[in-house]
Amino acid sequence: MVNITIDDKKFEVPEGTTVLNAAREAGIDIPTLCNHPMLTPYGGCRLCLVEVDGFRTLQPSCTLPVINNMVIRTDTPKVRAARKFILNMIFSERNHFCPYCLVSGGDCELQNAAYAEGMTHWDLMPNWEPHLLDASHPYIIIEHNRCILCRRCVRACSELVGNFTLGFEERGAQCTLVADLGVPLGESSCIGCGTCVQVCPTGAMIERWSAYHGLEKDVKRTKTICVGCSVGCGIETISRNNRLVGIDGDWDASVNNGVICDIGRFHPVNDERIRLTMPMMIKNGSRVEVSREEALRSAAEYTKSNKKEQTIAVISTRLPIEALDVFKQLFSAIGILATTLEEGLKTKPIATLADSGRYPTEATLDELSHSDCVMVIGEDITKDHQVTSFFIKRRVPSGLKIISVSSEPVGLKNFSRLHLKINAGSEVEFIQSLINTCKSEKIDEQSKTGIKPDDFQQVVDWLKTSKNPLIMYGQEYFKNKFLDAVEKLTELAEASHAKLISTKGGANSLAASQLGLDQPISLDGVKNVFFVVGDERLSEPVLKKFEKVSNLIVLASYHSPLTDVAQIVLPIQTWLEDEGTYLNVDGRLQKSIRSFEATNQIKSCTDELLSMAEYVGVEIDKNWKTRLTQRRSPVEIDENKMKEIQ
Amino acid sequence: MSKPKVASDWMAGCSGCHMSFLDIDERIVKLVELVDLRSTPITDLKQPDEAGVDVGILEGGINNTANEEVAKLMRSRCKILVAFGDCAVFGGVPALRNFFTIEDSLKRVYKDIESNDAEAIIPSDPELCKPTRVRAVHEVVPVDIFMPGCPPDADIIFYVLSELAQGRMPELKNDKLMWN
Repeated sequence: MVNITIDDKKFEVPEGTTVLNAAREAGIDIPTLCNHPMLTPYGGCRLCLVEVDGFRTLQPSCTLPVINNMVIRTDTPKVRAARKFILNMIFSERNHFCPYCLVSGGDCELQNAAYAEGMTHWDLMPNWEPHLLDASHPYIIIEHNRCILCRRCVRACSELVGNFTLGFEERGAQCTLVADLGVPLGESSCIGCGTCVQVCPTGAMIERWSAYHGLEKDVKRTKTICVGCSVGCGIETISRNNRLVGIDGDWDASVNNGVICDIGRFHPVNDERIRLTMPMMIKNGSRVEVSREEALRSAAEYTKSNKKEQTIAVISTRLPIEALDVFKQLFSAIGILATTLEEGLKTKPIATLADSGRYPTEATLDELSHSDCVMVIGEDITKDHQVTSFFIKRRVPSGLKIISVSSEPVGLKNFSRLHLKINAGSEVEFIQSLINTCKSEKIDEQSKTGIKPDDFQQVVDWLKTSKNPLIMYGQEYFKNKFLDAVEKLTELAEASHAKLISTKGGANSLAASQLGLDQPISLDGVKNVFFVVGDERLSEPVLKKFEKVSNLIVLASYHSPLTDVAQIVLPIQTWLEDEGTYLNVDGRLQKSIRSFEATNQIKSCTDELLSMAEYVGVEIDKNWKTRLTQRRSPVEIDENKMKEIQ
Repeated sequence: MSKPKVASDWMAGCSGCHMSFLDIDERIVKLVELVDLRSTPITDLKQPDEAGVDVGILEGGINNTANEEVAKLMRSRCKILVAFGDCAVFGGVPALRNFFTIEDSLKRVYKDIESNDAEAIIPSDPELCKPTRVRAVHEVVPVDIFMPGCPPDADIIFYVLSELAQGRMPELKNDKLMWN
């Protein structure tokens, strides 16, 4: 600890703290623009200048570490004059015209800083050099006229997301934000995660779909989680009048610390699907709107009277554990196979091995931040479970050895120290060869994988000599050889002392698998399907497959080709209107919080399934916790959280 | 003590600031008790008294030689000059045309615009004033009080005028400082 004095008050602060953070900790406000708590201090805007005794000139507090007996003054005439001068310079550099900027009126850090200094006008007028708008990207617009060159977006792109797309070119007045080597953003390597927009202090980065939908004072923010995939990122939904207008990453969320992907940030806002608002049934050959009670009663009767072996029940893993559990109990009681779309393929092999005790406990996602060598196989994590790829990519500058193995082109290739393009379908053989190399057994020169023994040796050397090696894998490229693959990966993990991380699938994949909703789906001989689609966007092949089923009962939030052919359709809440519990990829139990009320008093999936159970006459036990941990899990399930959640 | 004399005029603006001034509603009665309203765009007297006024108020930026004359006349005849609204303070919406040359702007407005026919001409009568770049008032004449806002809120206008009327310099800060 060191002693410092700020504005005549004495404080004791930890060594290494910056003057800015020490002041903030002490409740003393120093204005900043380029500084952001999640980014490395940069000292670019100079707005945070302070007077320090013994220093000849004013010092930027964001990059200045405290030293013992430092005397700092934040509110002297000299500091005030400097701030005003700096703000004048920033305003004159580009064309900041508040009346036609979307963040004006409270959401602009530059405008707020000017207000705080009591600036009624600009002493220096803008240079009127127009800067072209870059509107080439589907989600993000760059308005260079509002840019203050603070480089927050550049730092976010590299330090948080690890995509290294944004940068600056030229100097002085020509200095401009560019994507890659100066191409339009829409043609660049940008992955559209929008973190740059979230950190932008002015209106220079604009979210196309959220722009002009309301200032901070007009909207409601709800801290919740994304249910786009198994990572379960913390997000803040931004809504107005029961309508979603934007999504931000939640800086306080322990899973992702604020970074989210394009699917999490932009897709839900840009959802063009039409909401289901009324229960519907086919009566005498035509579709009619019916009451909720009639739809539920009919669904119950159908389900009970159908032949069990010709009937299956399918549920989406985007739904909360509460719904999955009621679903499982309801259909098990009737004697109908209850499962999910993907778990049979994606998590069953892992769950089976874990349950038999032969599978090692997986590493947590946090360990990606401490690992020194990561091998990724079986999935393009820059497309699915994208945020995990951020955790890896952003560590390239700190020397993380990334090995990507794939027969398909993957996004991780350019970030990898070693990219091995193997022959299609040879994933399992590849892992076997690694095991053999680990055990110093000879491997075939002309292996089926198309990879040379030297490369196998390189991978094994890196895995074995690393302090915290990780193998991250997904099911996709293994296809139906996944069980084999998981067994081999288990063996490889043991031989190389690496830990495993599987990406699993949807938001509640792990929970579904723990609850036993993991039978592979076969529609052979199936005539009746009870399909809880929720708000999931079903893929074309899935739609094609289920459209052919003769009797469909669908619980869904949106119209789809399935709701067009279903006998009974019951609307249920979307994830934003519902609330419940989710078990993420590394065993974190998280609550999804309601962002706004459902339209037309639509009920949650859990409520509708409970009502169904009543009509069918099945007793439901609501305590899902014991059932969630009945079978051994491939990851450690957070016990404390379990107790916390009622 | 006689009531302070106040004159106003508008230049390259939309007159919205003057409309916002009228939004002070019944407080205008109180204001008239405090000040002597002289020339304004909506009163019969069109130019500030030759003998001078205490407060001159200018709405709008300066985008031609005629505006320059208005600004200089007001400055020469008033003790305290108020730049009234975002256009007077920053250039405002009319200043968008500064991104183009005057020739291009004139061509767009008088010749290329969709409603014009082929014979359209750019007015060039020597009697007409010359367009210039759009400037904030303080780029042409010294300004004493900046009242930004598009338009400034009626409450802020009332505050500024009543302070001036009572011989105090208004201070625009915190919730009274608003650029948009």
